[in-house]
Amino acid sequence: MNRNYLFLTLLMLVLAIGTFFIKKDDVYKNQIKPETLLQVITQPSRYVTTDQVAKRIIEKDPTLELIDVRLPGDFDKFTLPDAINVPLKDIFTDKGQDNLGIEDLNVVFFSNDDIIADQAWVIATRLGYKNMYVMKGGLNCWIETIINPTMPPETASEIEFEQFRFRKAASLYFTGGSTTQPVSVTKAKVKVRRKKKEKAASGGC
Amino acid sequence: MGPLIPNDIITGDWNFVIAILIGIAFGFILEASGFSSSRNLAGVFYGYNFVVLRVFFTAVIVAMVGLLYFDYFGWLDLSKIFILPTFLSPMILGGVIMGVGFVMGGFCPGTSFTGIAIGKTDALFFAIGLFLGIFIFGEAYPYFANFYNSGNMGNVTLTDVTGIAAPWFALGFTVIALAAFWVTAEIEKKVRKNMKEYKF
Repeated sequence: MNRNYLFLTLLMLVLAIGTFFIKKDDVYKNQIKPETLLQVITQPSRYVTTDQVAKRIIEKDPTLELIDVRLPGDFDKFTLPDAINVPLKDIFTDKGQDNLGIEDLNVVFFSNDDIIADQAWVIATRLGYKNMYVMKGGLNCWIETIINPTMPPETASEIEFEQFRFRKAASLYFTGGSTTQPVSVTKAKVKVRRKKKEKAASGGC
Repeated sequence: MGPLIPNDIITGDWNFVIAILIGIAFGFILEASGFSSSRNLAGVFYGYNFVVLRVFFTAVIVAMVGLLYFDYFGWLDLSKIFILPTFLSPMILGGVIMGVGFVMGGFCPGTSFTGIAIGKTDALFFAIGLFLGIFIFGEAYPYFANFYNSGNMGNVTLTDVTGIAAPWFALGFTVIALAAFWVTAEIEKKVRKNMKEYKF
């Protein structure tokens, strides 16, 4: 037999055996099923309020990881303390995903409102990451509720006043306390009259 | 990168242009392999010429192994290519009919046109029979439409059906093909010893 045939036979064998070593990483293997995604996407449990986020920032919760999904320009102008900037399109990159799926860490996505953050959440959830949340209302809600909280009406419940007091305190914490109004002091008297609630209540946007 | 049209690298209008180019190349390779001769083609059934087996097995294993590498290098996304749906029993029967027609007529549909291209009379008659068969098939279709459409397994691959990874099939086919090349070469040698040299 021709020596060329022998060479071709061996070459083909080597190439065929080689296919065992070229297994491509299945990029979809971690992806969750569409049905599961649909199920979790309709659950509001992914939302955390600005109050909850503020509380955890103030408490310096080490398990909190804030991810700002806006563009770097916006991120440089204003963001939450210790937030990481991962613009939406970077969620697909390895670098963007470095910040996701870290054990015991709760990721909170936020943007100006919650639309882009929601998109980031859906993408990351589809990619199979867990323990992720979206800050309801985004930074607009943050400014509205935490930085410039409005006082509830006199007829409001104690929970609302409690929330307001927390927000005023949080506002002081985040802004350095230069623009406080005396309202918080007035409302502190209310606290004396009624039973104090343990938890900072949620609500807002 | 590929497949080019599903990935919008080129538009679907190129389909026919590509089909013509591939068709020309296919016809050329068939002719160059000696597939325009019914003796060459039918020889596989009589044991004196295994060129059909070798050419088709070569095409199968090169394409099979090649596509796996293409997928790995990112040149062709195998999850996006079209896979012909499998109709198990109709395909088995069709294969048998095709085989019988092949050994009787000395051509398969594609090669008969290659034969016509170089002026073979037998190929011409084969092609006439081919169109006759297509016509009869079309007219009689309602009588066996149920069977024709039965056992649809969908666009499945061997890996889907068996759960065995593609490289095993690639290696398996390659080993079988390479073994067949060497064995048939020996058979040819022995059979041809006892026959007069034939001309194509």
